[in-house]
Amino acid sequence: MVEARLLEADETRPEGRHEMGALDLARRLPSLLVAAKDVAATVMHGVHGRRRAGVGETFWQFRPFVMGESISRIDWRRSARDDRVYVREREWEAAHTIWLWMDLSQSMAYVSNLALQSKLDRALVLGLASADLLVRGGERVGLIGLTRPVAARNIIERLAEALVQETGRPDYVALELPADQPLAPRTQAILISDFLTPAERIRQTIQAMASRGAQGHLVMIADPVEETFPFTGHTEFRDVDSSATLRVGEASLFRADYVNRLAAHRDAIRQVCVSRGWSFTIHRTDRPASEALLGLRMQIESGYSIGSFGGAQ
Amino acid sequence: MGALPLAFSVPMVLSALILLPALWYLLRLTPPRPRQIDFPPLRLILDLKPKEETPARTPWWLLLLRLALAALIILAMAGPIWNPLPASQGTQGPLLVILDDSWAAAPQWAQRLTAAQERIAAAARDGRPNAIVAISDGARDVMLSDSSRSMDRLRALKPVPYLPDRLPALQAVQKFIAANKQSEIIWFADGLASGHARAFAESLVQLVNSDHIRVITDERPVLALAGTENNASALEARLVRSQPKGLQTASLTQGQVRAFDLKSNVIGEAAFNFALTNETKARFELPIELRNEIARLEIVNEHSAGAVSLLDSRWKRRRVAIVSGATADLAQPLLSPSYFLNRALAPFAEVREPRAGANDPILASLNDRIAVLFLADVGVVAGAAHDQLARFIEDGGILVRFAGTRLAGSSDDLVPVRLRRGGRILGGALSWDKPKPLAPFDRESPFSGLSVKDEVSVTRQVLAEPEVGLAGKTWAQLADGTPLVTAMRSGKGLIVLFHVTADTTWSNLPLSGLFVDMLRRVVAMSGETTQADGAEANVKEANRVVTLAPTRTLDGFGIMGVPPVTAKPLPVNYEGTANADYPPGFYGPIDGLTAVNTLSVNDHLDAADFDGLRLDMQPLRPAEPIDLRPALVALALALLLIDALASIWLGGGFGRQARRATLAALILFAGAELTDRPEFVSAAQAQTQTQTQNAPPARTSPREIEAALKTRFAYVVTGDRTVDEASRDGLLALSRELARRTALSPGEPNGIDPSRDELVFYPLLYWPIVTSQPQPSAQAITRIANFMKQGGTILFDTRDALLARPGGPPTPEALWLRQLLAGVDVPELEPVPRDHVVTKTYYLLDNFVGRTTIGQTWIEALPPDQGDQSNRAARAGDGVSPLIITSNDLAAAWALDPSGQPRFPLIPGGTRQREMAIRAGINIVMYTLTGNYKADQVHVRDLLERLAH
Repeated sequence: MVEARLLEADETRPEGRHEMGALDLARRLPSLLVAAKDVAATVMHGVHGRRRAGVGETFWQFRPFVMGESISRIDWRRSARDDRVYVREREWEAAHTIWLWMDLSQSMAYVSNLALQSKLDRALVLGLASADLLVRGGERVGLIGLTRPVAARNIIERLAEALVQETGRPDYVALELPADQPLAPRTQAILISDFLTPAERIRQTIQAMASRGAQGHLVMIADPVEETFPFTGHTEFRDVDSSATLRVGEASLFRADYVNRLAAHRDAIRQVCVSRGWSFTIHRTDRPASEALLGLRMQIESGYSIGSFGGAQ
Repeated sequence: MGALPLAFSVPMVLSALILLPALWYLLRLTPPRPRQIDFPPLRLILDLKPKEETPARTPWWLLLLRLALAALIILAMAGPIWNPLPASQGTQGPLLVILDDSWAAAPQWAQRLTAAQERIAAAARDGRPNAIVAISDGARDVMLSDSSRSMDRLRALKPVPYLPDRLPALQAVQKFIAANKQSEIIWFADGLASGHARAFAESLVQLVNSDHIRVITDERPVLALAGTENNASALEARLVRSQPKGLQTASLTQGQVRAFDLKSNVIGEAAFNFALTNETKARFELPIELRNEIARLEIVNEHSAGAVSLLDSRWKRRRVAIVSGATADLAQPLLSPSYFLNRALAPFAEVREPRAGANDPILASLNDRIAVLFLADVGVVAGAAHDQLARFIEDGGILVRFAGTRLAGSSDDLVPVRLRRGGRILGGALSWDKPKPLAPFDRESPFSGLSVKDEVSVTRQVLAEPEVGLAGKTWAQLADGTPLVTAMRSGKGLIVLFHVTADTTWSNLPLSGLFVDMLRRVVAMSGETTQADGAEANVKEANRVVTLAPTRTLDGFGIMGVPPVTAKPLPVNYEGTANADYPPGFYGPIDGLTAVNTLSVNDHLDAADFDGLRLDMQPLRPAEPIDLRPALVALALALLLIDALASIWLGGGFGRQARRATLAALILFAGAELTDRPEFVSAAQAQTQTQTQNAPPARTSPREIEAALKTRFAYVVTGDRTVDEASRDGLLALSRELARRTALSPGEPNGIDPSRDELVFYPLLYWPIVTSQPQPSAQAITRIANFMKQGGTILFDTRDALLARPGGPPTPEALWLRQLLAGVDVPELEPVPRDHVVTKTYYLLDNFVGRTTIGQTWIEALPPDQGDQSNRAARAGDGVSPLIITSNDLAAAWALDPSGQPRFPLIPGGTRQREMAIRAGINIVMYTLTGNYKADQVHVRDLLERLAH
């Protein structure tokens, strides 16, 4: 029989195990990459060439020295082969800013015995791991509304600490969606949630966030129970965010209706995302977290190419 | 209830079982609670209308469970009793319980009492009064009483160690029945015929309707020891048993008899087997010395006075010797005096006869450690033999001489009376006209009590010279007063003279059984002559019958004890068996005990015979009625619990709720267990109380033993929970880090109270200062001072680094610490110098940080620098600083919660600071444990250099 429960209050707080889990996941990823070489080799993460000379590490071109430039920029090795004096130019590379948001609301604190982890744990691990991965790739990552984007080596600890401080505030209220504030252009947002709020509400948020051209990725975390609805018999369902209940004589008769509703809900969200050029992935907690992380990274990488940057150049 | 031994005290309640089908119907209609499931996506389907709302039916097994529960409760209310007592015979009159309280009832006494109590309790439930008659009470009036008084009376009853007669009690019963016509009689009979059992039963039948009489007897036969004989080869105990009619006696056909000496040490065991008879013997084949030690025989596991046989000196086999004056080559050995003596003595004595032709038979016999020496017609004993014999008598030996032609001719001085020379022949030349018979024995004579047979006649004898005191020396005389047996005390011993021969030439006395009895008495006197002497003297003064006071007597269970007050002194030479006046036991002085037994050699145990009386005979039942109510109620409770668990499970509440439910159930059970046993609870409380009240501080507690066995740190319990937890967790984390990083693996830290606990086991005491804690008592301060003097280190932590300002007023914690240390001999302190050894004991440290970093750490001031040591890396005093004072709250920085996460945030924070705090702790621990060792290490190079030279 399927059993599901809400986490106790003390189980929902972000703590060391999430940091460790995220670190573990992020460090395991290279080995996963090796396994999925053909997938990952093409999408090198990191700083992104702007196809023009600028501040960067990779060689772009040699050009003749122009008077007035700093002598230190002269590439003497190249100049020695010729009469002229050359300057080595590097490609202009710039780090991206990624805004991260994880849903810590009550409905996330939910785990069934079919799942590996609660939705909340999975969201935290996934979010922190992607942050670590991105920072190691040279990006700057921040939490929406909590921290400014940084590229620190201990990004996981920093973000986790910020989350702990935030959730520890006495007047803390877990929000189901981030604030409807526009993000700066050329940034990307990662929203990890179960997205059970009405699709209309989600549309508003995404519109607001993307109003200045920011890209985004929605990762919908779902417990297997929430997808398969494996309940039978006389059952009383209780909502977790409100006091609403639904008493059902035979739960199995509800399955078809529920599955339809869920599919419709997801379609609605997907429509919203597609219309703004955002990505939308669904991740079930009975699947390994690395799978979601890999998918998320591919989405982010493709966001560089098909997103505003690719279009702008 | 047919074949089942089951009855109900309130059978009417059973009619409630009819209601069960109705309950079935009701329960079916009430479904269990639905499963409750938390479901976050519920919002998506909240507006859906339920398609089917048919409630689930109660599952059949739950229904069955609940019906069983109801049925159990109804059954329990009906008061079921397993093995019920048979219902009374319809009479409403009083219940008369007659108890045979002879020793024969003793082995099953507890069962008899229980059975009687049950009957009385059953009668009391019917509101009937009762009365108890114990047979040994005799004709005492029987009073009606209520059940509680009767119970007390029953408990006070004990079996008596004899077989009382039932006829006196019958009068009391008759009187009682006359007053209470409708009585029902229950007679717990002991099953023996003796004591007029049949007559008693007949009278009872005449008194009341035989329907109202019930006789309860034991199925087991009664076993008893009746007489013991110490034969030449073995001690033989005679066992008898009763065989109740019509009952199988497969049990108790065989068993063991155990022999004890006077001090109740086991001497031996012998088996017996009745087979098909009612009489058997158990033989103790032991050396004679051991057999003579036996004072008591018992049938093993048969606890009654009848199963005990007491043995006194009469059962001892004395070693006697017979020396005859006749010539060695006897033509007719079967007519010789020694032959008659031998035959008479052999049943009770060990007879030695010196070999014919021995050099000196008397000397040879005396060397054989004999008790009695029989000289048959020995005239004169002279020379060495005479001296030896005289000494033998002086030392307590008995010399028994028989007359004869040689003695008549000449005699020595070893005779009790002066003899007239020349024998007297009755009916012969020197005789009277016809043989003389014996006169009855005097009461003062040792032979008193023996019956004199008429056929004994004396034809010839030696005559005693009439002299003063002859009557006192005479033990037996002829009808005309001529002394036949005379005796004289000599020293501790005795000289006895039979004035006739030991053969039949002078009299036919040796042919009679009296001769054997007389010799037995004489032989039995050996070993007790001296005591008898005093007794005899007393008797002569008082001139009355000698009596022996009871010394130790048996009770009905065959247990030796102090004689009851009703026991009377026993006349000397009492031959009968025990009765109410003379309970079985030992009488007389401790070294001349006389035994009285319940049964004599000739007694048999006959089973009571109630044939033709139409009595309701019932066996004594070992099965007690069992009230099934508690069991049923317990079962019902268990079912209720299962039902509750099943309901929770059906409601989908397993998971966390199930854990709670099982916990609740456990608590319920445990609570029921404890409250069932109030004495346990109170004992536990009492124990706790005594522990808290008188826990002497000097006692070594297990915790202290633990502390002494393994190095561990301690913290002072301040009473502030947060601080104490921080101290404990901090020291625990520090201990683990020490075990991980260093060779030291300390045990778990202990929380201590310096006023109560012994401090000497701990090298380091962490003392966080909490101002709310009262100042320790003067005694505790003395302990602290001693601890510091004996080499312990106290780490005071004022935890006030954030509050204290340099040059500012002292913080409350600092004031508290100052007050504490006012009574302690504190050395001069200084902030830890950079070259102090504590900064180098394990890690190289600059300062000691904790939760805060700005606090100063103080330590005992080092002796001033010597000039030539200025280049040294580390300095140390002679010992370890007895106290270290810090304000950085070290323990809070070390403390980890059970999951290994830091308990407290650090100021300013960071992993590095936590690491440094741990290092500071490790350095302090190493400093307290190793002292100035690290400071000496810096000399190593110099030392090596010097050695190289």
